[in-house]
Formats: sequence, structure tokens, C-alpha cells
Amino acid sequence: MSTEQLTQWVVDHKFDRDTCRHSVNGFDAVLHCHHYASLYCQLADDAESFNGSHLLQRSSELSFYDVLSDYFTKHNVQNLDERVALTEEYWKTCGFGTLKFDHVGELSAAAHMDHSHVDEGWIKKWGKRDKPVNFIGQGYVAAAMAAIYGLPSGSYNVYETDSIVAGADASRFSLVRS
Amino acid sequence: MSVDRNVVIDAMSQVKSESNDEGLIPAFNVLVTQAPTSRWNNFADLITNSVDPELKPAAEALLENAAHECGYHTGYGIITSEEFDAICNPMIQNPPEDVLHAAFAVFTAWGWAKSEVVELIPGEKMVVRAYDYYESDVVQRGTLNGPCAYMIQGVSAAFMDLAYGGEYDPSGQTGMRTFKCEQVKGIECGDEYGEFVVTLAG
Repeated sequence: MSTEQLTQWVVDHKFDRDTCRHSVNGFDAVLHCHHYASLYCQLADDAESFNGSHLLQRSSELSFYDVLSDYFTKHNVQNLDERVALTEEYWKTCGFGTLKFDHVGELSAAAHMDHSHVDEGWIKKWGKRDKPVNFIGQGYVAAAMAAIYGLPSGSYNVYETDSIVAGADASRFSLVRS
Repeated sequence: MSVDRNVVIDAMSQVKSESNDEGLIPAFNVLVTQAPTSRWNNFADLITNSVDPELKPAAEALLENAAHECGYHTGYGIITSEEFDAICNPMIQNPPEDVLHAAFAVFTAWGWAKSEVVELIPGEKMVVRAYDYYESDVVQRGTLNGPCAYMIQGVSAAFMDLAYGGEYDPSGQTGMRTFKCEQVKGIECGDEYGEFVVTLAG
């Protein structure tokens, strides 16, 4: 029996020959490698004195929140299940890994990633470590929750409770309304 | 220079990146993502404006270093790729100089910066101009006191490493950081274009 996919993230990819910029669904987009992501995460992690990891999480949240919210508006996506599925699909489309929300509620949520560009890229570059490093993913799941419920960016605190980079079989995230 | 930039840009801009079942995009010997440019700009902007002023040069150097390593490894993946072989290599008559020209055409095609090499002294110096680049988007009105195209700086130096720094070293222990880059003009500073001067690290 075949299973119909109810929701699919529609990619409208354009290349502007004049500016030589790529855009996806109206937002300028660019390819970068795992070395770049790993070094951004390392810089954020090292910058403890001014909470660099939070800055990287927040910068990710701000960026992705705009993309997700804009998509829901333009495609008139109102249904909760569809919104959740689309946030999972978009993350995969970007190449950041697989994301699955285990449960979603307005005050709390949990999600996991069986694969993660940031974690697997970090391991590829430097090997494992005992602390989470996926600040980009943390920001994304917070952005996803805010966009799903139509709340402002920054509406959820996120905690990474297990990490692939630390040897877990999946990275797990817990979210609580701030 | 025998490389036809327009041919390279038209062809390489059409190369698609699609994720596999694991949500990953293995390409050019690395894992890549295709994210909004703001994803990278936001962090650079937040971190350079959050540090104490005396630490800002260190933060900027680390941002540039991230791009330098990215440019070195991904750059090598690009110039040894099937796509580069099919599209660029037939035009290359004078390596590694022509490879550099082609690499900046690819750099342009992939939306990193609309850029070209405007001066090249083999093994010594390269000047790159960028006429449009996403890193300048952090300024929407007014101008910055100093430039902020850390990614172009790092990648430009890395491309010179690949051209003249010796054999590619996957570990990055040798060959990388034989060149350094200084951004002397920036759209974000009110200039018509960004200009990047790459010289031997010394």
C-alpha cells in the first residue's frame, strides 16, 4: 500500500544573473560546508564570556523564523500537523539532517534528529566531544515552534538533552515556552 | 586568461544540491547545506558587535578563519569535481592562474560573491573585486566604519593556498594559511565594490 505524502516543502529556487545571487522561496540562500559550520560552532562555544553559543542559537532562530513564517503565510498553511511536517521537511531540504517532533504543544515540545549536519560534520572534522554543539539546530527548533504557533521569535527556550556528537544515537531537544 | 566567466557562471549556477535520506548533502568531498544567507550574516553581526571592542579583531579573525578552512577544503573539492572537469578544465590553458579565474567564476555562480580576479602576480599577490555579496547585507542604511566580508577574505586567501601553497593537505596542517587577505574596500563601507588583497602570509 502506498502512502501519500500530505505535505511537501515547495522549493522555488532562482538565480539572479545580474547580482549572481541564489534565492529560495524569496530568501537569499547560499551553500556552505561542514568546515564552515563547525568553525562557527567552535567560535560560539569558545566565546563563553559573552554567551557565544546563545548568539549562534539566536542568530539561527531569527533567520529560520522569517523563512518558516513567510512560507506558512504565502501558502496559507493553517493546520498544525502540516506546519509541523513542513518544518521537519524544510530542515532536511537545507541539508541540516533529519528532524522529527515527538510531541508538540503550545507550552512544551520535544524533538529529535537521527542525523545532524552539525554533529556529523563536527565528528568528521574533530571527532566526538562530551557537550552539545548544535547551536544552529537548537535555534531552528525554537524558530519552528514559534512559527508553528504564530508566536514571536524567542517564545521558546530550548535544551539539547542528548547529542550525536557526544555519542548518542540521536540528538534530542526539549522546548518550553519562555 | 582563457576562462570564459559567463560560460562557467551560466553552467555552474545550475548545479543543484539535494539532500539524501539522512537529510545530508554530501558534495565536493564535504557535507554542504543550503541555508538563508541571514543564517551566517546574523551570527557574524551579533558576535562582532557583542564582544568588547578590544576583542573584536580576534572575533573577526576567527570568522575569517572559518571561511579560510571552508575555502581550502571545499575549494579543493570544487576544482577536482566532475563538474569543474567538464565545464572549466577544457578552458584552462595556463594553470594554476586559469584555475584561479575559474574558481572565482564558480564562487560567483554559487552566490558567494559576484567577484573576479583583477590582478594576479603568480605566487605572490592577487586582488579580487566583488561587485555584489551577501555579507554586505548586514547594513541596510548608512555605512560601517570597517569592512565585514570575512567569508570572501578567508576564501580568497584559501584559493591562493590551493594555487601556490603546495600540495593539498586534507588535514590542513600544511598548505593552508600560506596566504593572508586584507579587505581594503567594502560595499558595506560605502564603496562601489569590495576589494580584497591577498599576499604571502610571511
